Amino acid sequence: MNEAPQSPWTDAWRRMLDNRLALCGLGFFVFVTALCYLGPILYKLSPDAQVLALESTLPFTRANLVEVRFDEEKTSPDEVTTLEDFAEVYALDPEVDLETLAKNGALEIKGVFFQTISRFHLLGTDSKGRDILARIMRGGRISLGVAFLATLTALIIGVNYGLVSGYFGGRLDAFMMRFVDILYALPFLILVILLMVLFDGFHLKILLIFIAIGAVEWLTMARITRGQVMHLKEQEFVTAARATGVSTFSILTKHIAPNLLGPVIVYSTLLVPAVMLLESTLSFLGLGMQANMASWGTLIKEGQQSMRSAPWQLIAPSLFFSATLFAMNFLGDGLRDALDVKSENQ
Amino acid sequence: MLPFILRRFAQAIPVLLAIYTITFFMIRLAPGSPFSDERKVADHIIEAQQAYYGYDQPLLVQYFTTLWQHIRLDLPPLTSHVGLTSADIISESFPVSLELGLWAMTIALALGVPAGILAAARQNTWLDYTPMSLAMTGICLPTFVVGPILALVFGIWLQWTSVAGWLGPVDRILPSLTLGLYYAAYIARLIRAGMLEILSSDFIRTARAKGASELRAILVHALRGGILPVVSFLGPTLAGLVTGSFVVETIFQVPGLGRHFVLAALNRDHALIMSTVLFYASLIMLANLVVDALQILLNPKLRYA
Repeated sequence: MNEAPQSPWTDAWRRMLDNRLALCGLGFFVFVTALCYLGPILYKLSPDAQVLALESTLPFTRANLVEVRFDEEKTSPDEVTTLEDFAEVYALDPEVDLETLAKNGALEIKGVFFQTISRFHLLGTDSKGRDILARIMRGGRISLGVAFLATLTALIIGVNYGLVSGYFGGRLDAFMMRFVDILYALPFLILVILLMVLFDGFHLKILLIFIAIGAVEWLTMARITRGQVMHLKEQEFVTAARATGVSTFSILTKHIAPNLLGPVIVYSTLLVPAVMLLESTLSFLGLGMQANMASWGTLIKEGQQSMRSAPWQLIAPSLFFSATLFAMNFLGDGLRDALDVKSENQ
Repeated sequence: MLPFILRRFAQAIPVLLAIYTITFFMIRLAPGSPFSDERKVADHIIEAQQAYYGYDQPLLVQYFTTLWQHIRLDLPPLTSHVGLTSADIISESFPVSLELGLWAMTIALALGVPAGILAAARQNTWLDYTPMSLAMTGICLPTFVVGPILALVFGIWLQWTSVAGWLGPVDRILPSLTLGLYYAAYIARLIRAGMLEILSSDFIRTARAKGASELRAILVHALRGGILPVVSFLGPTLAGLVTGSFVVETIFQVPGLGRHFVLAALNRDHALIMSTVLFYASLIMLANLVVDALQILLNPKLRYA
């Protein structure tokens, strides 16, 4: 970074440090990202392992289970069952077998191998006995991943479109902006929903989601960029560059693009929660990611179905999702104030 | 005013045509057909069905036939509801969605406008901070989180309302609240910002100087201008209510048009998908037109521009 204390970026950073809400937002966002991506290193339960005997256990439950292997060498157990079921189904003499199992931790009965394990479910399990925290961590990776990639798509299309439209101006600009206006008038979400339903089960569906979300969200980005470029291209440094014979491409990439960074950063930060919301709405309606790609929207949908008997299955993912949206919105607002970007939409 | 309205109608035609074209080819490119069935059906029956619904024609012929049917509003029979047309489905289920939307809008205005005025009139006191923090919460919480949580708390734990359905007046409460709270929050913020700007302007100072009471200055003089941002927000609101109704109608099992739209897409009922999409598109564009016209009527600056 620049040596001079008056660099606009250090200045913005100092303003940012004064904004406590925005810092909390940043902190929580870092925490959630770390939890989703690094959490599985410490919290090793699989988000897919179904233990039907352990359905809908309460949060903070420690469960003592028995792994059943029909072949000793196998790494993953053939079945995971409770101590009661072990005594009822497998044990020859329940009392004796349970005691040996408790003492040694492992046991063999007629070529079948048993091993005790202990599992701690911090946030309980869902209706199929899968660990909720593990599912939330993977759901978060999917929700955040989709949000970032879709935002990046919208960013690339929108910024380039706005750059060209704003810099060249005239008829081209009028035509390009008319096109954006027409797209704005389309009830896009209806078409997105249609796209999701009609191509259900299509193996490239995740790609479709990026295309669909990117197609909706680049429009505002294009408008913001265009407005900024139209202002920048009249500045002396651009005129000077043009006068000294710098090529149009270099002017766009070296002189104008760096000055777009502020508004683009701010708008992208606000776009990420908007995209997360869109993706999760689709998933909630059952139109988004499929079973083993369950995002937070899917988890909330599943939680709603069993909220009568197990409300924590709804509350836990809802809390994570809402808190992340909060954090991102606070961060975006804070960045806007710090970088002093006006929320212009034309 | 009239030329403005006529121009907007003229602009709507290419947009509707574009929506029609995109939807038509999207439906036809998608895997699955309205005649595929889990049971095995004899080929000649499928052929007879296809001939009845006009699917034996070349695609381009079908494109124009369907277009002409929609222009004349003479809608084709549906594949998923024998003996009914899209018009029957829409006229039966749209009133439900409309009622839900109107209740939601009522809640949004009844909560949002007073909260916004209060916050602006008592800026930087707890009467400002409390409603505005609630509004921030309302904006960040998505419909599909609010809906199930409301159903859990009021429907299951407190047993005050029903959890789902659309029969009696009690069933209206939770869906309308779920849909309305977000807009209440947004409207409160818009009104507060609009009022704060106006309350510091010269004509309000004049009104106060001439002895207008504080209540009169706020409700009569300032509100007229302060409400403008809300009017321009009404256009996007209507579009949002339409898509919001997909989620809310799914959560609370409301038999509205949103559910029929999703079901039509799941059943590959091409005729119903097409009619519903065109219906929604026309509705949203009409609403935008009304909102823009209202804005011109309310805002003197726009009227003479």
